[in-house]
Amino acid sequence: MADDKLDLPQGTLDLLILKALSLGPMHGWAISERIHDVSRETLQIPQGSLYPALHRLERRGWIRAEWGASDNNRKAKYYELTKVGRKQLATEADDWARLTAAVALVLRMD
Amino acid sequence: MFIESWNDLRFRLRALFRRDDVERELSDELRFHIEREAEKLERRGMSREAAVRAAAIAFGGVDRFKEDSRDARGVTWLEHVSQDVKYALRGMRVRPGFTAVVVATLGLGVGVNAAMFSVVDRVLFRAPRYLIDPGSVNRVYYAFTNAQGQRTFERALEYKRYQDFARTSRAITQAAAFGYRSMAVGDGEAAQARVVAIASATYFDFFSARPVLGRFYTAQEDSLPAGAGVTVIGYGFWQTEYAGARDVLGKSIRIGTRLYTIIGVAPPGFEGASDGRAPIAFMPLTTFAASVAPDFYRDYGWSWLDVIVRRKPGVRPTDASADLTNAYGQSWEGERNTSGDVPPADVSRPEVKVGPLQLARGPMAGPEVKVLAWIGGVALVVLLIACANVANLLLARALRRRRELAVRRAIGGTRARLVQQLLTEMAVLAVFGTVAGLVGAQLAAKTFQKMLVAAAGDWPVVSDARTIVFAIALTGATAILAGILPALDAGRGDLAGSLKAGTREDGYRHSRSRSMLLVTQTALSVVLLVGAGLFVRSLQAVRALHLGYDVDRIAYVEASMRGVRLPKERRLALANDLVNTARAVPGVENATLLVSVPFYSSEGRSLHVAGIDSVRRLGRFMLQAGSPDYFATVGTRILRGRGFTSQDRADAPRIAVVSQSMANVLWPNQDPLGKCFRISSDTMPCTNVVGVAENTKSRELSGAGDFTYYLPMAQYTASFDPPMLAMFVRVGGRPGDFSAPLRTRLQQLMPSPAVLRALPLQEIVDPQMQAWTTGAKMFFAFGALALALAGVGLYAVMAFAVAQRNREIGVRIALGAESRDVVRLVVGEGVRVTVAGVIVGVALATAGAGRIAALLFHESAYDPTVYLTVVGTLLAVGILASAIPASRAARVDPNVALRDE
Repeated sequence: MADDKLDLPQGTLDLLILKALSLGPMHGWAISERIHDVSRETLQIPQGSLYPALHRLERRGWIRAEWGASDNNRKAKYYELTKVGRKQLATEADDWARLTAAVALVLRMD
Repeated sequence: MFIESWNDLRFRLRALFRRDDVERELSDELRFHIEREAEKLERRGMSREAAVRAAAIAFGGVDRFKEDSRDARGVTWLEHVSQDVKYALRGMRVRPGFTAVVVATLGLGVGVNAAMFSVVDRVLFRAPRYLIDPGSVNRVYYAFTNAQGQRTFERALEYKRYQDFARTSRAITQAAAFGYRSMAVGDGEAAQARVVAIASATYFDFFSARPVLGRFYTAQEDSLPAGAGVTVIGYGFWQTEYAGARDVLGKSIRIGTRLYTIIGVAPPGFEGASDGRAPIAFMPLTTFAASVAPDFYRDYGWSWLDVIVRRKPGVRPTDASADLTNAYGQSWEGERNTSGDVPPADVSRPEVKVGPLQLARGPMAGPEVKVLAWIGGVALVVLLIACANVANLLLARALRRRRELAVRRAIGGTRARLVQQLLTEMAVLAVFGTVAGLVGAQLAAKTFQKMLVAAAGDWPVVSDARTIVFAIALTGATAILAGILPALDAGRGDLAGSLKAGTREDGYRHSRSRSMLLVTQTALSVVLLVGAGLFVRSLQAVRALHLGYDVDRIAYVEASMRGVRLPKERRLALANDLVNTARAVPGVENATLLVSVPFYSSEGRSLHVAGIDSVRRLGRFMLQAGSPDYFATVGTRILRGRGFTSQDRADAPRIAVVSQSMANVLWPNQDPLGKCFRISSDTMPCTNVVGVAENTKSRELSGAGDFTYYLPMAQYTASFDPPMLAMFVRVGGRPGDFSAPLRTRLQQLMPSPAVLRALPLQEIVDPQMQAWTTGAKMFFAFGALALALAGVGLYAVMAFAVAQRNREIGVRIALGAESRDVVRLVVGEGVRVTVAGVIVGVALATAGAGRIAALLFHESAYDPTVYLTVVGTLLAVGILASAIPASRAARVDPNVALRDE
């Protein structure tokens, strides 16, 4: 396990989850694994934040949950993006890009 | 945004109502996650058990996640509340006695206030039903400086004046005139006095009410010189008298002196802008007026109408008042031009003031309204006492539950959560109490309302939205007030100590809160009882008042001619027949004709006395005329000279008997006998004073007595008007018992359709004392209630304290204390609290006494008898309430007490 884990602010976690789901429905564990892999093992989502975040997103109607069978035929709860969620993802991704660009500019200033 | 909220709501509802399902799903989901993680680790080479353990540890405490997830679900608060409510209900079932006392106490407090609200709201605040835009409607009052230099507001206007206002005012869009009268409705024997509304056609334009049958009358039917004989009957009357039959239109009904055709039925609850009396019918103003006086619209002689106006949008009441004052000024000048009797406007300064629709809030509100407001305040004080009681009971119970509460805090309950739970328990009790109170109030409402507002209809409590809202608001306030102290108290304290001590109290906490509450209760009870005492004494003073005539032996008989006109001789003959027949009724001692009835109607003429240029300036002089036996019948004593004799016939010299007060004001320091004065005009022959009668009260109860002069009936009818067909009948027994026999015997003499009615004079005079009667009854009732609550509260607290100190008392007795000492210990504490409460109460009472002084009658607000009685009563109650538990304490068996864990 990498020691240099970064701490994720809450809004960012939502964004990551939404993005992960944009590729297709997943259950909670898969989301966590996917993010961990894609970030080249830099981002490890603390389990204590994952499920509350998922429920929060579900409450706001950005993702939708359904029980299905996992690949090893066990019952699992799958989440998928809703139409509203897709729109929200676009907005948030856009905001993130602008934020980071601005921050980079400020940091480069000499 | 909207979709989000919708989803949110659905989510929360599911989480709330399918809680078990949701919880199970969460467990499954988390378990799945841990499983997959464990598999992953297994694949990396760990053993099964190690993998599972590592996965579980990496995940962290599952329960905490569940808790966090739950919080993220956002229904925690709601779940807590429903938990608390269930817990509270269970607690109530376990302690039925405690629950019953608290619910009953709260029910009393809230119920009493709900009943009061149902009256106060309707008298002071509520707008009449169906009224369009009540904020823009006002009642018209006027004032001018009269011949005595006095200036008071009145509201009875003349028809011509109303028309002048409506025509010249620029600040109003609508105006209507109306009057509510008790008139004979129906025919012959079945005729009953009912309340009828006489209103201009414009009256209906103020309301959104639409007739359920037929129509309202129009301006054409309410025109001059006389209106159409049509009427709109009230809904209730339609139901009771015509059984709601739809063929009622076109039927005739006799009201007052003539017949009316029914053209419509008003909707339910429509009373117009009445003062609380519901009219059974509405009739055009001009129709009624013309039937009484055909030229009512030509001059300003008859003041009898209430006027309401609707202000134009944007016009403030002060502007409307100014505008109408202007109109009044013009009307005044117009009156001056036609009748020479009117002083110039700059002397009389006529003015109009528009006031609220409710009579009780206008410039003419009587003392009944003040009394009502005071009693409303008293009801709130009773609620406060009830709150204090309940707070004390809750404190005591919290003490018992110290251990339970300490345990809850020890395992992590926050103080806020505990306080929330206790407040919820209080709220549940309060809700039960409110329901009980509302039911009780509904049952008692009728009696209450009749006592407070004589004209009250059946005002519902439980089915009235405003009252319910008021009760709920009161419940909320009560729950917080009564529950906050014990709740805060519970969250405090030494945890470890509470856990060890448990229910067995190792130290009797002299709770400051408890003592303060007891002192408050006692003080408030003192204040209420002092008020009650003062009012009761006022009432006694009023009842004992010497009126100058024997009210309790006199029956009043009055004829309503209903349009029958008799020539003068016929009328005289009928009057004499009535008197003689009345005298012949068994049990009747005497009878006399009259022209004035105290507090009801009075006659008066202008007087002229040598040496006084304006008798009018000295005050109002009332004229009474009577048969030769007048003074003996009525019971007014002759102080000097003589009364009437049969010699005082129409052709004899004019004589009069004057009241003492009149003699003193017209001929001060002189012998009035033989003095002469002229009635009606300067050129009339002299009327000589032959006797002086004692003062009587006919217009108001306070004051020395009215100026009255008495003329023999024969001379009165010769000079002035034919006699009124009305009599005083003196009976040897209770006047109420004679109403029926008198009516039956005398009705035979009357030409149809004239009717007679007979009633005890007491019924006419009683309403004068209404304010004090009501005040005394209600204050007394509430005072007694307060006393009972305070007494019971003190007893409960003392009893509990004794139970708590069982061990301590056992120790004392074991160490040699006598039972006497134990009793003194307990009673001493009760007395200390009572004395403190009494002192505070007396201080409060004396501080506020000045404000109640205006409502009392011949009674000082600092009357020592009342204060001493109240103090004595409370001390007695305090001692009693402490003595009972004390005697029980003295009988404690030290063996049992010491071993009791």
